[in-house]
Amino acid sequence: MEPLLKIIDLHATVEGKKILNGINLEIYPGEIHAIMGPNGSGKSTLASVLAGKPGYEVTGGQVYFMGKNLLELKPEERAREGLFLAFQHPVEIPGVTLVNFLKTAVEEIYKHRGLEPPSAAQFLRLLREKKEMLEFDMKIENRSVNEGFSGGEKKKNEMLQLAVLDPKLAILDEIDSGLDVDALREVANGVNKIKNENNAFLLITHYQRLLNYVVPDKVHILYKGQIIMSGDKNLALEVEERGYDWIKNNETV
Amino acid sequence: MPTLTKNKYLTKQELIEILQNNGEPLASKNIQELAEQAISQHDIPHSKMEEWRKTSLKKLLEHTFRYGKKIDLERHVIERFNISGMYSNLLVFVNGYFVPSLSRLLDSSDIVVFSNMAEARSMFPQVFDKYYNRTEAHKVNLFAALNTRYAADGAFVLIKDNVKVKNPVHIYFFSDGEDQKIISQTRNLIIAGAGSKASVLLSYHPLSTDYMYNNSVTEIFVEHDAYMDFNIFQGEGYDSFHTNLVNVEVERGGQFYSHTISLCGEIMRNDLRVRFNGPEAYAELNGLAMPDHDQVHDNTLFVHHKSGGSISRQFYRNIVDNNARAVFYGKVLIDKGAKKSEAYQLNNNILLTTTAKVHSKPHLIIYNDDVAASHGSTTGQIDREALFYMQARGISEKKARTLLLQAFANEVLNKIQIDTYKFYVKTLIRKRLQGEKVEMLCAKLGQCRFEPDYE
Repeated sequence: MEPLLKIIDLHATVEGKKILNGINLEIYPGEIHAIMGPNGSGKSTLASVLAGKPGYEVTGGQVYFMGKNLLELKPEERAREGLFLAFQHPVEIPGVTLVNFLKTAVEEIYKHRGLEPPSAAQFLRLLREKKEMLEFDMKIENRSVNEGFSGGEKKKNEMLQLAVLDPKLAILDEIDSGLDVDALREVANGVNKIKNENNAFLLITHYQRLLNYVVPDKVHILYKGQIIMSGDKNLALEVEERGYDWIKNNETV
Repeated sequence: MPTLTKNKYLTKQELIEILQNNGEPLASKNIQELAEQAISQHDIPHSKMEEWRKTSLKKLLEHTFRYGKKIDLERHVIERFNISGMYSNLLVFVNGYFVPSLSRLLDSSDIVVFSNMAEARSMFPQVFDKYYNRTEAHKVNLFAALNTRYAADGAFVLIKDNVKVKNPVHIYFFSDGEDQKIISQTRNLIIAGAGSKASVLLSYHPLSTDYMYNNSVTEIFVEHDAYMDFNIFQGEGYDSFHTNLVNVEVERGGQFYSHTISLCGEIMRNDLRVRFNGPEAYAELNGLAMPDHDQVHDNTLFVHHKSGGSISRQFYRNIVDNNARAVFYGKVLIDKGAKKSEAYQLNNNILLTTTAKVHSKPHLIIYNDDVAASHGSTTGQIDREALFYMQARGISEKKARTLLLQAFANEVLNKIQIDTYKFYVKTLIRKRLQGEKVEMLCAKLGQCRFEPDYE
């Protein structure tokens, strides 16, 4: 089986500063991967580089997404191919309603996939179905995207968009940050409901607590821009117990 | 008629010679004399004058204009300027001349009177004399003084006391120079009787292709507890100029709302001046300007709180492309006796290029300490974070920019109170932002495209 995502020796800099120093990773359909690491280890940079955020310069290595050279694609092309980034800090867009925003996105993605874009009524039905599936009880459709949303609403909005856009690979960048236990459980349930044998998740997190609800197939520890350790879900528990210092010390040994 | 060589600018005397050939003036002999004195005192506005520092009129003064002909248009000619679904009382002017055959009154003349000014002067001499130039328009600047002295016609709207006018009053001003450079000079008078309520829209459109210039003055009287929703749509095409003064007086408990939309004229200068004569008065001044190329769109506001317990709000946004320039100069004066006044000013700007410019000057002058006031001004580029967020959802950069700009504009446009007109303007602006042809915006087909040159 072909991997969905194949990262080979990826190096990247931000404002001239080296952040990623040779990352290797393969993610197959049906898998959930978790990347953990201390602050400043390069977790969010990896997410941004994969999504194509301006300002992040790839200085070496390759990334293939379903066999295509991901790094050659514009951010919107990556999204249309089926890559989704749930933002750590979702951006407020005053004056653009969620419905308008998401309908536009769906239209562009459907067009790219050679599908007939849904009518307004079909789209609203799709949106309602996904909300019900996720069991999110919030009225955000006609509000400006993320404007005045609570922390929990912002993260749930990311999950709702994920459900509607139905990507192949979803990268969740610290989806658990700033969430109380109830919201965390709701978001985690969302991941479990959306996950199927054809898609994959890459969870980027500082803490282990999300992994109490979403069981990863693989856990990677990122440190100084490299994956220095990989394992199963037990690795996350070990990090939780012993802290990152244990790994840092290990590394220097 | 003065003749000009290239790069010579009209002198004041030449401007007077052009503007005086306007037929029988509306103004009484007495007002004509006052205006003439003012004309002799005003200079052609120049950059040393505080309120004209950033708006040069050289491009206007390069041209020799003449008055256009009186043309009886057929209805189909102006149909492309119809606002879909808007059923309104209509007054139509072409080149400053009233066209009765295209005008219509839907609402009963028992509740609203409207006509051209020349007729109103003879039909309602007492009303006319009471209000005409009561705001002393001639004192504001040379153009307003020339208008006061020489204007021969315009729109007259009188809403009777305690009447709520169902349909909007829409006044069209067309310019048709048959491909000659023409000027139109109109003078409007709008009186909202005590306790009345109405919406008025003034819209300006080109019908021919060469340079055209509007020099207009509108006086509005909002009597006590009246509600006036006033709209100006500057749909003039490229190569158009507009010097526009709106002088408003609001009495006790009166409410005045204005929405000024400037789309693509060469120089659009709007002076909007509001005076609160009585307590508990309210004014909300909204505007959107979108200058492109080398255009200058200037909104210079002045709100004078003469009386206490009054509230004024200014909310203007500009989207500036290419080498264009937007000017926002919002002045608020709160008198010593005007206690418990509130004044809020907000101006937001987006510059689409590195050569686009905006001059923003909110200016509060307050002579008592029992007031609430705030002012804010922001200028920036399109929000890059928002752009990336949208791209990360599959939306192309171009479309994302359009959506963001539309959203920016819509926050002003959503304040428009005539729903059909609001929809019309939002659609036009969406088309313009998407780079589609917007034929109703200018007479020269193919010239109407607005293709934002982002990078």
